Amino acid sequence: METIVTFTTWVVLAAHLLMALVAAWRVWRGENSIVRLTALDLAGTLTLAVLVLISILERNSIFVDTAIALAALSYLSTVAVAKFISDQKVF
Amino acid sequence: METVLQIAALALMVIGTLFSFIGVIGFIRMPDAYTRLHATGKVSVFGIVFLLLAAILLTPLSLWKGLVLILFVLLGSPSVAHSIASAAYRIGLPMSNPARDDLKGKMEQGDGKD
Repeated sequence: METIVTFTTWVVLAAHLLMALVAAWRVWRGENSIVRLTALDLAGTLTLAVLVLISILERNSIFVDTAIALAALSYLSTVAVAKFISDQKVF
Repeated sequence: METVLQIAALALMVIGTLFSFIGVIGFIRMPDAYTRLHATGKVSVFGIVFLLLAAILLTPLSLWKGLVLILFVLLGSPSVAHSIASAAYRIGLPMSNPARDDLKGKMEQGDGKD
């Protein structure tokens, strides 16, 4: 059973890395700034998923701490860039 | 008991990955920025929350950290989607095939250039 769990976690980790690559491609070649910003937020979310999967593989909860910090930073940066795009100023 | 927990965690991981996959496919295939935003919401709510529930079942050490992260994702993801959609409407991005626009004339819009 342990082997099946480890194998499935590796497969799911590979799938999430592939999807994060697709999102990074859309950041590089997006049609406009909103699509690029959405792709950046998507890439951050998938990186969060990758960190959670690494914490499952290692049976170590320090990676969940890193995921919390990444979620807070990704949230703040996305909201700040969206506000900058709409108002041409941050504050 | 251990085996039951592991099977439940496996099912949760597979369901979360399917939701993320559907979200990324929707992000690639949808026609304009607003519908793409609708697709990426699935990744951040269902994908992350199911993966975190699997992590909670498999590693009991991270129970409260996982619950805090679930709460944070559930609070943060809708407000991120709201701010991006608001920015897209303010700079005047066109919708593809809109049924109606309730905000037309009530908010000053740009010309669609970013």
